[in-house]
Amino acid sequence: MTKLSELASTIRSKNAGVNQITFDIIFPDAQSYRRVLASQAITKDAIAKLYRIPASRISDFVTFDVANAIKFTMYRLRPSGSPGDWDILGCQQYGPLLELEIPG
Amino acid sequence: MNSARTKDTLKVLISTGHLGTAPSNAESFHRGMDANPDYVVADGGSSDPGPVYLGEDTTLGHFVREELELFLTASRRKGIPLVIGSAGDTGSNRGVDEFVGIIRELAQEHGIPRFRIGYFYSEVPKDYLKRKLAAGKKLVGLGGFPDLTGDEIDNATRIVAVAGVDPFLKLLDMGADVIIAGRCGDINFTAGPCIHHGFPEALAYHMGKMIECASLVAEPFMGKETIIGTISRDDIRITPYHPQQRCTIASVAGHSMYERETPYYEHALGGTLDMRECHYEQFDERTVRITGAQWIPTSELRVKIEGAKKIGERYMGFVGLRDPHVVRNVDAAIDWVKSAVAKRFGHEPYELYFHVFGRDGVLKELEPVRETKAHELGIVVEGVAATDALAEKITDFAVRMFFLARIPGVKGTAGTAATTKKTMKSSPGYMWNVNHTVPIDDPMELFPVHMTEAGV
Repeated sequence: MTKLSELASTIRSKNAGVNQITFDIIFPDAQSYRRVLASQAITKDAIAKLYRIPASRISDFVTFDVANAIKFTMYRLRPSGSPGDWDILGCQQYGPLLELEIPG
Repeated sequence: MNSARTKDTLKVLISTGHLGTAPSNAESFHRGMDANPDYVVADGGSSDPGPVYLGEDTTLGHFVREELELFLTASRRKGIPLVIGSAGDTGSNRGVDEFVGIIRELAQEHGIPRFRIGYFYSEVPKDYLKRKLAAGKKLVGLGGFPDLTGDEIDNATRIVAVAGVDPFLKLLDMGADVIIAGRCGDINFTAGPCIHHGFPEALAYHMGKMIECASLVAEPFMGKETIIGTISRDDIRITPYHPQQRCTIASVAGHSMYERETPYYEHALGGTLDMRECHYEQFDERTVRITGAQWIPTSELRVKIEGAKKIGERYMGFVGLRDPHVVRNVDAAIDWVKSAVAKRFGHEPYELYFHVFGRDGVLKELEPVRETKAHELGIVVEGVAATDALAEKITDFAVRMFFLARIPGVKGTAGTAATTKKTMKSSPGYMWNVNHTVPIDDPMELFPVHMTEAGV
């Protein structure tokens, strides 16, 4: 098992509009990108499980070969900056991804 | 097209992804200016800082004047246009007027020879939207919002429309040397000048998208450094001007997916940019060349609108927990506080939030780590209510109740929470309630343009 943070070169999250947060996982080369895809450790369902949400809250999940990247987007419960929100930019929501274990 | 506008390439310089939040680095900016760009552009705003700024109609940045001074003096010295999008963060009419005023003052202070400022507004009258509803038009929600109702239009304190390239094209045609825009899409203050000079729409919009965050498109990560985007009939090229930065296929392709739901499409007023067939290549050591974007015009014009409604006045207090038993039973402590507040203030509408830093303060319900390993916790209590006095009273009461929380098994009997400082006044609480599109007949109909002069 290897942690995702040892394989990816960029792991980030950020607002995509006022009601969604988008996550980018970018790999330094096609080899590590393909390895993670093949592992099935990052799928829509795996992400829903990690973040403890129904898969329906994930509005988009794409692989982006030209950037060796995996990208997914989820709805917020309330729009960014509403009372009760402590991450207006959505830019710290990627934290749990770094510890994600990738088999193989 | 006027032949004076015809160029083989157009170079657009940008040094910041959000004007005024911090100063642009002057060194790479001047290095970029030495490369003789045709335009200097900057984004003055965003919906990213949250709904408070539009709701309250205030500007976020503390370095607006410094940045405008750098951009205006340098661009006027070269005699090239300066284009600023989404003035005053939100693109409200007040934001536009504030920026136009700053440009005038700077022109006087620096004795800049007379020049023309073109500006446009983008606030939307509520009656206009209600007439659309009355005519049976749907105001369609974006990003999971339900369609807009008349009540929510009334609830918003202010609504702005997000302009496409059209007001920029109009003002450039009118001969503007400086453009101060109301709310606009972050690709349009670059796409406008490119289209004005006859470059293909697909490349123009794509360049707007690639350069809108300045040096974030290059590596290593650096903010507020200058880059130049160069458009030709066939391609766009992105070059950073900080000596330690370079654009690589990885950095540019990676940036093309930044803060967007999908890397493949970008919607703008009047069409969609299709980036599925984009090709990236290393042009020289520091420059990446991009080709292949397609522009697909839409049959129905729909403009995005943004609005915020006020929830109430807001206070915040801070509580520290160190007793291991209380730390372990923090949910019981919060439940105790919630019920104490409900008992005393339950007849009043209020919102009360507990941000438990050390456990799930940042991620809330998304946090996978449910058992904290921290030996102490910090809790921000956030209270919102209709009046200032009530918001302060409820928030302060909630903080005191942590001190008095009754949790079975607690050994400390002098207070179950460490508190300090007065409960603090925060900005009022607002919420985005308009994030919709409205059908329009003319891409200019919500964006009246104006021209004025400044300088000596």
